[in-house]
Amino acid sequence: MGRDIALSIRRDDAIAKISGEAKYTCDVKFENMLYGKTLRSKIARGKIKSIKYPSLPEGYYIVDKDDVPKPNKLKILKSDMSVFAQDVVNYVGEPIALVVGEDKEIIDNILSKIEVEYENIQPILTLEEGLNTKEPIYGDNNLFADYVVEKGDINEVKNRASYVYEGEYETGYQEQFYLETQGIIADFKDGKITIYGSMQCPYYIKNALLDFFKADSDKIRVVQLTTGGGFGGKEDYPSLIAAQAAAASIKCKRPVKIVYDRDEDIEFTTKRHPSKIKLKSYLDDNFKVIGMEADIILDGGAYASLSEVVLQRAMFAISGVYNIENLYVKGRAVATNKAISGAFRGFGAPQAFFAIEIHMEHIAKKFNLNPLDFKINNLIKRGDKSSTGGTFRDEIKLKEMIKRAEIMSSYNEKKSRFKEERKEGKLKGIGMSLFFHGGGFTGSGERDHIKAKVKLLKKIDETVEILISNVEMGQGAMTTSRKIVAYTLNIPIEKVIFENPDTDRVPDSGPTVASRTTVVVGELLREAAEELKNRWNENETLIVEADYKYPEGYEWDGDKFKGDAYTSYSFGVNVVEVEVDSITYESTIKNVYAVYDIGQAIDERIVKGQIDGGIVQGLGYAGIEVMENKEGRFLQRTSSDYIIPTSKDVPYIYSELLCEPFKYGPYGAKALGELTFVGSPPAYALSVEDALGLEISNIPVRPENILEVLRHGK
Amino acid sequence: MVKSYKPKRLEEALQIIKNEDCILFAGGTDLMVNRKIYFDDKNSDKKVLFLSSIEELKDISSDSNYIEIGSMTTLCSVEKNNLIPEALREAAKSMASPSIRNIATIGGNICNASPAGDTLPYLYAAQATLVLESIEGSREVYIGDFIKGPRKKDIKKHEILTKIKIPLKEYDIWEFRKVGTRKSTALSKLSFTGLAKKKDGILEDIRLSFGAVGPTVVRCRDYENKIIEIGKDIKIPEIIDMYSSIITPIDDQRSTAYYRKEVALSLLSNFLLKL
Amino acid sequence: MENKIKFILNGEEVEVLCSPVKRLLDVLRDDFNLSGAKEGCGKGECGACSVLIDGKLINSCLYPAQMAEGKEVLTIEGLKKSRIFEILSESFIDAGAVQCGFCTPGMIMASYALLRKNPNPTEEDIREGLSGNLCRCTGYNMIIEAVKMAAKRGEGLW
Repeated sequence: MGRDIALSIRRDDAIAKISGEAKYTCDVKFENMLYGKTLRSKIARGKIKSIKYPSLPEGYYIVDKDDVPKPNKLKILKSDMSVFAQDVVNYVGEPIALVVGEDKEIIDNILSKIEVEYENIQPILTLEEGLNTKEPIYGDNNLFADYVVEKGDINEVKNRASYVYEGEYETGYQEQFYLETQGIIADFKDGKITIYGSMQCPYYIKNALLDFFKADSDKIRVVQLTTGGGFGGKEDYPSLIAAQAAAASIKCKRPVKIVYDRDEDIEFTTKRHPSKIKLKSYLDDNFKVIGMEADIILDGGAYASLSEVVLQRAMFAISGVYNIENLYVKGRAVATNKAISGAFRGFGAPQAFFAIEIHMEHIAKKFNLNPLDFKINNLIKRGDKSSTGGTFRDEIKLKEMIKRAEIMSSYNEKKSRFKEERKEGKLKGIGMSLFFHGGGFTGSGERDHIKAKVKLLKKIDETVEILISNVEMGQGAMTTSRKIVAYTLNIPIEKVIFENPDTDRVPDSGPTVASRTTVVVGELLREAAEELKNRWNENETLIVEADYKYPEGYEWDGDKFKGDAYTSYSFGVNVVEVEVDSITYESTIKNVYAVYDIGQAIDERIVKGQIDGGIVQGLGYAGIEVMENKEGRFLQRTSSDYIIPTSKDVPYIYSELLCEPFKYGPYGAKALGELTFVGSPPAYALSVEDALGLEISNIPVRPENILEVLRHGK
Repeated sequence: MVKSYKPKRLEEALQIIKNEDCILFAGGTDLMVNRKIYFDDKNSDKKVLFLSSIEELKDISSDSNYIEIGSMTTLCSVEKNNLIPEALREAAKSMASPSIRNIATIGGNICNASPAGDTLPYLYAAQATLVLESIEGSREVYIGDFIKGPRKKDIKKHEILTKIKIPLKEYDIWEFRKVGTRKSTALSKLSFTGLAKKKDGILEDIRLSFGAVGPTVVRCRDYENKIIEIGKDIKIPEIIDMYSSIITPIDDQRSTAYYRKEVALSLLSNFLLKL
Repeated sequence: MENKIKFILNGEEVEVLCSPVKRLLDVLRDDFNLSGAKEGCGKGECGACSVLIDGKLINSCLYPAQMAEGKEVLTIEGLKKSRIFEILSESFIDAGAVQCGFCTPGMIMASYALLRKNPNPTEEDIREGLSGNLCRCTGYNMIIEAVKMAAKRGEGLW
């Protein structure tokens, strides 16, 4: 292993994927395996009065609520969701039963003959309805979470502010659209359930199933198969499919496989939370933002899932990269009768950064300031306090990054040139966003809940196997983990082995989320490798372990939301350039420039892959990825109508890295995956705004909306 | 289970469908997406006649009056063939993706009779006629009369669409514009086709058609004649007003009625400005 | 009625007994155990199931078995034996074009189909050639880079 860890190496998983040999869940067949398909609710809210099943051909089964242990609740963070609808349904598509058998067409036929009789209840479909309902879906107030974060004294600021500005910002749904749809195989044999499938968090599935089936720990085993993308969508949802498949396998005494169709996956699995965010800023006479009130409302869908933590991240990010000393942030996650909102790359932060970046730009415009100067005037710097009163301990290189982005993109020159070109009818625009991402779990999740443990197994042949529960899902975890270990041990990379995790073999090093695989687990691997290096000459098979320790000097109070919500921050600056068609208002993205501080890059090519992929997902989110709900059903519910960018929708992306290392990340590495998503939506919206000379406060920015605004002012 | 025929000659095909009800299978890119509905493979005794082996349906030729395009010509061939008018080639190129254009056919696009079929507006504008053949003989029908509504068309069970005949006419000003949901593999929110011919500064002919803004393609020969009549003194707002009454789109998952109508009219206005 | 359908699969004459409208994708995966072509959408919109028929790129999820009769079908498993595959796969690896991998066999087939027709594609040609193949991980640019690289490395071979 060479001495510059950033230098790219060949990905070990690439050749099997290229040649089609890699086995994804859809490619794996077990002997005697049956297939399961889901019977789903056709209504948004109601009671199930009766279900009439047709008589089944031999070898075909129905698996429903009567086949699972009471109370039939799956534990994600809260236990509010049934594995099969008990007697109520809360969204179109809620699973009611599985039809299981050998032939998929016969299964379809059976499904079409099942009659479910419902008693309709008025569904809650909007945030307003959800906030004002007398018939809550969840708890007494219909809120999955209701928080306040305070910093400084907002009331004192109100009295001395010279200027006040208020705005409201909205973001829409987004579907992960990983290329491999959800898939799980369950095999119940000799009293033990084994789950195989596409997933991000093997131990989430194991723990959810242990709780659901009230099983002993050794009776549930979870094995990850090659996973074709996750982006958060395979964080919590696979636990539900696994519980269903397991119940089916127990009943049918054969392995059961569930693989979703694309349209099923688009319409019914978890999505990014839509948001409505109100911001009110108080400024002094030097246009320093001295205080801000925020009201963040997220649409959580029908069940709690991860809404509370998504909301926390949105709240903690709401002041953006600006040093606002007095804050009052209210956050609510509302239950509605729609598909569950869950985890998606960025986890609440994209919504918050969209709001604050647009807000800052609009303030500047309102008071005739240069937006970038105004933003720079308010930037956080080392030693400043975060939204929760934690301390930014490391150097913040944002000013330098902005400079780089300006030079790379010729930002100032284009800003004025486009202005001239617009006079000639060419609607060109350019926009810049500034943003950060807090690495790892929010708050003290690592210390109090995850308690990650990693193992390294040195074998007689002097190979070292990494034993962790984090998965390769495309993001490169297999390569980066091996690099960290090989680099630390100073052995060839070929000597370090990483297999897809199997909970019977690997300790719980936590879920594959929030960039923690590199930042947290990677550091544990480095520590374990250091120890192994010292004991290298012990002449036998050797296992070394490392356990998570909360870094010294950081503090977090999870009840009051006070302290260091994150231990490290990575930063970014994005510039997006568009040209808008003057007749159709379709946008063409001309150029994208990006500068990031992710600390030490572990593999530059993998980093570049994350940057390009994250930016393009963000551009889709802000532009063409439209998902509207009408009367409880999504209008864009097929891959013909819910569309993601193609190779013709995006340009080349210029990107650079600046490095401020994190002391507690492996070799100084910080978070990357989510960060790359966060910046492009506001930069895109701002570029369209620049091109058209109007204010944009909602994404996705649809040509339809632009036209409405241009013709009617709203 | 489905029974199938795969004749090599048109004659043979016509003979088969004379006696048996068959689903005519062109490129299949639409049928296969909805194959559970169309074929219900396990439970039906439906019959499918594959047209793909009939080479005589893939010819493209022209004489002094017409360009004739075989109905089984793929979109890819339409896109690449120099005999075919540029506006139609543009339309073909704007459709789906390269892999779909390799198998999807122009005849299939017509017979699919979707309001958003992207070859249709040009064919309406160019006054294309369709040749429908049966064992008894053949007939020709203007495409606008052939398509009766969404998925509805004037074809009898024993007929096959064999050729598309486009009258040869030089249009010196033309435009095809598709407004899709994204830049590739996109369905139309709307589309506009404009063809015009001018001689010595005088407008001799004009053809205007709109896709995806009504149950079928919108084109009005009367309005076109009116524009030609007025000639030099055309007032664009008046024409827009006229067309405004016949462009009646809907809100759906891809766009809004308002956007469709406004943009269709803007594209029209923009085209008229070029005359 | 099950039809006996004969075609050339990756250079070998094969025969399958199936419904004429069975999707070629299912024929490949179920009857021949070739799982390199993936189902990503089932509607010809993602390209994960791309294969070549008589040298042309098609979506095997939209292609009925009957239409394959007498034709040459090339899948990633067939391409794998060639020098061309080596060049493409090395370029994909070197350019960082592979992440989750689910789109990758289809991308390789689309790249090959493009380079066969156009051995010196411009960036625009490549974007067009791959435009029917969705990728959610890479943002496409590294794949486009890979195709450029392969075009150069395989000069004369396409």
